[in-house]
Amino acid sequence: MQPLPNPMNRRSFLRNAGHGFGGIALASLLADDGKLFAGERDPLAPKKPHFEPTAKRVIFLFMSGGPSQMDTFDPKPGLTKLHGQKLPESFGPVKTRRGVDKNKLLASKRTFKKHGECGTEVSDWFPHLSKCVDDLCVLRGCHGDSVTHPESVYLMNTGSILMGRPSMGAWVAYGLGSENRNMPAFVVLPDPGGWPKGGAPAWGNGFLPTTYQGTLIRGGSTPVLNLDRPSGVSLEQQKRTLDFIREGNQDHLAVRAGDSELEARIAAYELAFRMQIHAPEVVDLASESKETKTLYGLDRKESAEFGTRCLLARRMVERGVRFVQLYCGDTNGWDAHSDLEGNHGKLCLQSDQPIAGLLTDLKRRDLLKDTLVIWGGEFGRTPMTEGTTGRDHNPHGFCMWMAGGGVKGGRVIGATDEIGLRAATDKTHVNDIHATILHLLGFKHTRLTYRHNGRNERLTDNAGEVIQAAIG
Amino acid sequence: MRHVWVVSLALVSGAIGFAAEPKLSADRQINFDKDVKPIFAAHCVQCHGPEKQKGSLRLDDSTAVTKGGNSGPAVVPGKSADSLLIQLVSGLKPDEVMPPGKTEKLTKEQIGILRMWIDQGAKWGTAATGNTAGVKSSHWAFQAPVQHPVPKTKHPAANAIDAFIRARLEKEGTAPSPMADKHTLVRRLYLDLIGLPPSPKEVDEFVNDPSEEAYEKLVERLLSSPHYGERWGRHWLDAARYADSDGYEKDTGRPFAWRYRDWVIQALNKDMPFDQFTIEQLAGDLLPDATTEQKAATGFHRNTLTNKEGGVDQEEFRVAAVIDRVNTTGTVWLGLTVGCCQCHDHKYDPVSQREFYQLFAFFNSDKEADLPAFLPGEEAALKDRLAAFTTKTAELKKAVEEAKQMKMPAAEIKKREAVVATHLKTKPEPSKVQTLAAGPARATHVHIRGDFLRKGVEVKPGTPAVLPKPEKAPSTRLDLAKWIVSKENPLTPRVTVNWVWGKFFGKGLVNTPEDFGTQGQKPSHPELLDWLATTFRDEDKWSLKKLHKRIVMSQTYRQSSATRTDLIDKDPLNVLLARQSRFRLEAEIVRDSALAASGLLTRKIGGPSIRPPQPSGISELTYANSARWVESKGEDKYKRGLYVWFQRTSPYPTLTTFDATDSNVCAVKRERSNTPLQALTLLNDAVFVEAAQALAKRVQTEDARPAYLFKLCMGREPSTAEAVRLVQLLKDTRELALENSAEAVKLLGSHKPAMLDVKSKNDVATAASWVLVARALLNLDEFVTRE
Repeated sequence: MQPLPNPMNRRSFLRNAGHGFGGIALASLLADDGKLFAGERDPLAPKKPHFEPTAKRVIFLFMSGGPSQMDTFDPKPGLTKLHGQKLPESFGPVKTRRGVDKNKLLASKRTFKKHGECGTEVSDWFPHLSKCVDDLCVLRGCHGDSVTHPESVYLMNTGSILMGRPSMGAWVAYGLGSENRNMPAFVVLPDPGGWPKGGAPAWGNGFLPTTYQGTLIRGGSTPVLNLDRPSGVSLEQQKRTLDFIREGNQDHLAVRAGDSELEARIAAYELAFRMQIHAPEVVDLASESKETKTLYGLDRKESAEFGTRCLLARRMVERGVRFVQLYCGDTNGWDAHSDLEGNHGKLCLQSDQPIAGLLTDLKRRDLLKDTLVIWGGEFGRTPMTEGTTGRDHNPHGFCMWMAGGGVKGGRVIGATDEIGLRAATDKTHVNDIHATILHLLGFKHTRLTYRHNGRNERLTDNAGEVIQAAIG
Repeated sequence: MRHVWVVSLALVSGAIGFAAEPKLSADRQINFDKDVKPIFAAHCVQCHGPEKQKGSLRLDDSTAVTKGGNSGPAVVPGKSADSLLIQLVSGLKPDEVMPPGKTEKLTKEQIGILRMWIDQGAKWGTAATGNTAGVKSSHWAFQAPVQHPVPKTKHPAANAIDAFIRARLEKEGTAPSPMADKHTLVRRLYLDLIGLPPSPKEVDEFVNDPSEEAYEKLVERLLSSPHYGERWGRHWLDAARYADSDGYEKDTGRPFAWRYRDWVIQALNKDMPFDQFTIEQLAGDLLPDATTEQKAATGFHRNTLTNKEGGVDQEEFRVAAVIDRVNTTGTVWLGLTVGCCQCHDHKYDPVSQREFYQLFAFFNSDKEADLPAFLPGEEAALKDRLAAFTTKTAELKKAVEEAKQMKMPAAEIKKREAVVATHLKTKPEPSKVQTLAAGPARATHVHIRGDFLRKGVEVKPGTPAVLPKPEKAPSTRLDLAKWIVSKENPLTPRVTVNWVWGKFFGKGLVNTPEDFGTQGQKPSHPELLDWLATTFRDEDKWSLKKLHKRIVMSQTYRQSSATRTDLIDKDPLNVLLARQSRFRLEAEIVRDSALAASGLLTRKIGGPSIRPPQPSGISELTYANSARWVESKGEDKYKRGLYVWFQRTSPYPTLTTFDATDSNVCAVKRERSNTPLQALTLLNDAVFVEAAQALAKRVQTEDARPAYLFKLCMGREPSTAEAVRLVQLLKDTRELALENSAEAVKLLGSHKPAMLDVKSKNDVATAASWVLVARALLNLDEFVTRE
């Protein structure tokens, strides 16, 4: 961790700190700049989970809009055979967003090949990612509860199709606290083209304290909202102002000994100042080598933007951020109701190399072993065509993958039926995926609870089974 | 909702294989006591007996067995194949095998006995019949509150509240804190009752009034301030989960949601008795000759989320809204977590799943109705506009007729017709209010495991049996509302006074204001809670203002909030109330305070919601069109925080950063967090920077400027040390500003002092340093804290 760049601030802090901070807390602060100071009342103090975790942090690559399973990681020769026919009656009635159940089946135009030692089949849209398959655990039997975007976005992020429950990142921040308070514990990097459908509640704190909500981070000089000093305020003036605030609050605390809220407020200003110094440093890629940038596809215009955010994700987990969520695809994203080839082709070109770069980079920095990377959207797509070139929403069967953080690589778990319509064997509901993520982070998912309106609430509500095959 | 348990396939197939072939002699006569009762006792009664009645079924009572549980009758005498009991124990319904989970299943022989017993008429033996009446609970909150005598204390107490508090303190061997100083008191009262800091003049008026009645006079004045309704209205809007948009994908704006918000403000300002306040919000539409205002009150339950996206199951979201109405009613008035019973009987409280759906039945036939409701002056204006519209319509239609008569070309006729059609779309519409109204009757069924597609037995509207019953069987929302505020209901007055108490002391006498059930916390001062509840209901006739006055007149309320070394170990959470509490102001009040201190605040009550400046990168990235943030202009920009447009999928960031509720579910208390983002907001957000600029401009025209500036913010004079520090900051920042005049001038924004010469380096540096000092004060803990 880099020391605070400004010795004056440290001196003045020392000068004024005698009033209220405990000596131990102060000592640890000074001994280890940038790391948390102790304090049991700090809601983001690092906490131990229920058991020894294999994952210490998470990067969730959210493919907003719902990527097609049969064109990405779930080859369906059975679908190719039935191409052009109607859905056989044996599949029974099926609900979709736009009622495409009577439409003809549409074969994938992609070719699939086996890759790596494990031989997992991946579509030719992923020339880079296919080299990482030995690290991927592909879940081909995923299913959810709703055919619409916002409900499914909420389900994937909060465990419920209903709006307003805490997001997974908020639960993780609540359960684990933060290793570094120069940055928020839970960070969200939305697509610059627009938020996912359903909006901010996808990274909201719900009924958990605000401390745990996802903080939006953007590229550029103002990565965090209101991070910039107001126009006309110099850094020196800002420092002087913060010194004044600290002195005033310390005096205030001196006659209010034991007021934990006030102590927390003083700390919050300290952290805000650190964030002002550090956050721009985190998003400043000047220190990254050309080779690294190329690895993430920053040299190609198609992948430069998403590559930049993938690289930012690595820089953040490196600095102790617990949960980073990246959205790939704007408000419509992978929602290919028509021209699936064009839509997915573009998004794969945009994301394949950056994601492969991220996995490779994490691995060579020895971070992949305890960083869980998740790929997936809010649902998959139908084997039936919409119009002549698109596919409709499909929550009944879709695929995701996980890598790192103790997940067994080179595996394929679960399967859809022969045409990719429904999850058929070793099915994993979204709640099961959440249970597994929490398990990798060291939590018994039934015991990570928060009491709200008289009920012990949890991410997995009344459901969720850990996917043993992914971890053992 | 997914099922909690999963049945192994092996078990099911095994059971089915058996069910067809019981190896029992066909003519055997089954004796209930000898043959059947032991099976029930060993395998069923643990969950379906006197202790628990899962699925509302009990198998220890003949009436109850034939009546059955939530899924219908358990036994059809003479027809074992049609009897649910047999279908479930023999595994014919793979999702619902009984006994559930890993519990030992019935043997083939046992199932055979049950089948034969039913086929032989399901005759009951000597076991109990008709024994299922009455649910009793000894839990404190379900007993009627009693007005306990006011305790005697060694030191005389000023009012009853103090007597109860002091009696406990004396018992614990400690004493209350001294009264807070007058500066603290006046600021505390202003913030608690109207949510605005007092101006220096208002502070002086109180501080310099030595009369004994000064405090009471101030209390009376603030309670009759129109801002009182804004302050307490915002508390209530949390409970009402008020927002200006639908939620979910479309998140469509609700341009008239504010009519309900304004109803709340007005009702509180009028001190509408809380029982009437309750009845109008829950069932104003059902009152005889209901006024538009009373109908607007039902907007309370129109704040539920709406999911308009095509493809969603509309019934699912209608049901979700009804469930939310039940849960919210339960939490806000009864302090009961009835939502736990949506899928199963309450695990801890004596409320069954069936009773949940009886409450559900009160709301199940409602429809949402947006009614025309004129704003003041609107009716006449609309009349004029309508007249103009009608005239124009006639003109345009005439033009079409003319064209036809003159046999003009078809294209011309078509064109004129199109003009008519376009015009008709511009018919002036009156403003509206969102209301709840009785719709066509709809049968209510228990939803098995909370799944709206799995309908169990039909239920009628009813109230939980553990609470006293209404006089006549209730059937409408109005009956429910009247029962909620009836004298027999032990919960409503307790829950309400506790909610109010929490706003004055930082937490309620019951520290789980949302849960008065067995899992909630017990009251710290049960006799005081009951005294307040009964006095509020009986003596004060549900007057919230009288309740407020009783509380704020107490010495307990007026104590200093300073921490005491003797209390740090003894009572770290301040349960005994030997001192007041200090807490950070709510999100809206933080902004209101900055605007008030700077003089920018618009003190206009009510009206459509407003949009203050917000940082980029929020609303332009959302999908919802209504989220487009068109900044309010003029005085609207500076209206109070409770008027800020609340867009559910992209809330105004300052609100969420400072712990405002997300408005998706009801909230009877707010969390209070401290985060760096709050510091960044106060330091750098455009709203607060502008407040600092205006505040700086305001004091530059005054004498004794540093002291005045300080007093505008904190309501008191600075100490010598504080004044020295202030002047030093002014000097330091001025020197820094002199170094870069071009930058410093940017800091002045649009609130430049009138006499300022922007070409003068000295002038600019001075003005800039004032802005920085003002900004620093707005960031002090004291400024955002109610002591």
